[in-house]
Amino acid sequence: MTEAAISALGLTRRFGQIRALRGIDLRLERGERLALFGANGAGKTTLLRILGLGLAPDSGSLTIDGLDPAKEARRARARIGWLAHASLLYADLTARQNLEFWGRLYGVADPSGRAERRLDEMGLSAYIDEPAGILSRGLSQRLSLARAMIHDPALLLLDEPFTGLDPHAANSLRQRLQQTGSQDTSAVLATHRIDDGLALSDRWVVLTRGKIVAEGRSAATDVATVAAAFGIARKSA
Amino acid sequence: MKRVSFSRATWLVAQKDLQLEWRTFDALAASVVFSIVVLLVFQFAVGGGPARQLSADALVPGVLWLAISFSAVVGIARSMDVERHGDTLAGLFRAPIDRSAIYAGKLIANGIRLALLEVVLVPLAMVFFNADLGGAWLELILVLAICSFGLSALGTLFGAIVSRVGRGEALLSTLLLPASTPLLLAGVSATGALFRGQSLTSVSRWLGLAAGFGLLYFFLALATFEYVLEE
Amino acid sequence: MQRIVSRLDALLLILTIGAIPTALWAAFLYAPTEQTMGAVQRIFYFHVPFAVMAYFSVVVLLGSSIVYLSKRNLAWDDLSRAATEVCLLFCTLVLITGPIWAKPAWGTWWTWEARLISTLVLEILLIAALMVRRYADNRDLGARLAAVIGITIAADVYVVHKAVEWWRGMHPEVFKAGNPRSLEPRMTAALLICMGAMFLLCTLLIRLRYRMGRIETRGEALRLENLD
Repeated sequence: MTEAAISALGLTRRFGQIRALRGIDLRLERGERLALFGANGAGKTTLLRILGLGLAPDSGSLTIDGLDPAKEARRARARIGWLAHASLLYADLTARQNLEFWGRLYGVADPSGRAERRLDEMGLSAYIDEPAGILSRGLSQRLSLARAMIHDPALLLLDEPFTGLDPHAANSLRQRLQQTGSQDTSAVLATHRIDDGLALSDRWVVLTRGKIVAEGRSAATDVATVAAAFGIARKSA
Repeated sequence: MKRVSFSRATWLVAQKDLQLEWRTFDALAASVVFSIVVLLVFQFAVGGGPARQLSADALVPGVLWLAISFSAVVGIARSMDVERHGDTLAGLFRAPIDRSAIYAGKLIANGIRLALLEVVLVPLAMVFFNADLGGAWLELILVLAICSFGLSALGTLFGAIVSRVGRGEALLSTLLLPASTPLLLAGVSATGALFRGQSLTSVSRWLGLAAGFGLLYFFLALATFEYVLEE
Repeated sequence: MQRIVSRLDALLLILTIGAIPTALWAAFLYAPTEQTMGAVQRIFYFHVPFAVMAYFSVVVLLGSSIVYLSKRNLAWDDLSRAATEVCLLFCTLVLITGPIWAKPAWGTWWTWEARLISTLVLEILLIAALMVRRYADNRDLGARLAAVIGITIAADVYVVHKAVEWWRGMHPEVFKAGNPRSLEPRMTAALLICMGAMFLLCTLLIRLRYRMGRIETRGEALRLENLD
């Protein structure tokens, strides 16, 4: 049996005494892509931060690619790629220098060659020796995606990557997300854009007040159904 | 993908910081200019009147360490600023490396910056205040090295703490300077002794204190840095 | 358990209420007047305990900071905060009583002497620690950073004191009288009584501030939960 990309049981997390997550069970198979929907404050970012090993859950179990983060923290962190609101780029280093730095930090082989290839894949070769700070938001997101993928992570986590992108840039990012990674790359995408979320995923869940209230297969679902799931959740909460 | 060792991660972080420094020249330039301003203001403050009677060896140690400590604050604050822009500190936290290596790498970069500052500042101070070292250069370098290490060790830790709450030089100096009192006293005492022509052995206990201070905070920071970086 | 704790709290309050007048009596009436400095010397019976209690609070701060980092229970942070504020209070009292004693006794308001300098350093660091708490985005971050600062402060206090002592070198001037052996027995007794009273007061204040902090923490949590 292949290891699941994510195997989470009963994840809870409080901040002070706000219960951000109230028991999340989640299983993501290798190569599977999951869309995470939910209103602001529902717990999407908290869940992603826990899956990304940036935050520890208060209770519950979690394995990433079969690894227990408590015992093999660094190996587990090496499996994860992260793309969120912040760019995680150094504005004064060039695109190439950024990717080389992060690549080396993740212990990849041939960081320079890999950096060049990724930049090429993202259509950023023209900016290879330009400081990352000059890039527009759309291009910067692509560079951040290249950074997230520089070490070929088994699991890619995206926290509302389309924020602040104009339609053209969003389109471009969506295309690249579709192409990025291999068959074995799993992903969790948190987004407000239901159509993009469904297009880029195999399964979806809706999170409300820290619990999963609805789920389904993306291919068989339309936007209205998901939107309704938000509504159902609000009524029953 | 190979496992990144502590020393390799340290080296990568240090190199990245120095690379950023080189490209922007920002923190180093700010430190140097600021320290020259301190020398200038000090000269105005004590240069006239009865202070004229004070010999150089009474003035220079104090003003030197004043300038070094304030400029260290400016430099460290600027170097933490570069991590705020893209929230790269969070990126470093998630990397498959030992978090303490981030501290060690930044410590090395801060230490080198401070050393470069002193290379400019010390001769300048000696010229401005007509101080004579009598050839005790190696001893002076030793004193500078030990005390600067301690200042950087504690400064890097406090710099990270202050940057997590989004504040800069003012809060950093409020934390770092009082806490570094033993270090500054040691620096001034030892430097003063050298300018008076005394040997280092006469102030060996000060150097011992400074070295001990530096090591204490170095290990304390290694142990607690992870907690400072946590999201 | 709750009943035992509130009984202990009541006991502490009663003991402290009894101890303070006793201390005042001991310092102002029981102890003999000092030869050279006169009546103003009596401040010494409070000045020294204030300093000792400041250091005691630092020890509490160190302990609760370390425990918070390992357990992450906000109650320990409430204790750290209480210890920080009470320590700040006692440091301020040291810095006020110092000059009040110094001026009539030696003709100078301030002296750059080991204990006063290290107390001033401690005072500033404590204020900075409170500022970090306040500026932090959220409670957990503030608590964690304050805990690291707390540990650093505790390590620092001793080193600073020693360093400044060496710095002042040949001038033991002000606090020669601080050596109990050179005091008359009644003076020693008065000092010990005041020390005990201040210890009770310090403990009581930390305890009260801690309980206030717990109520605030729980109240804030309830408020946030109801926002959902």
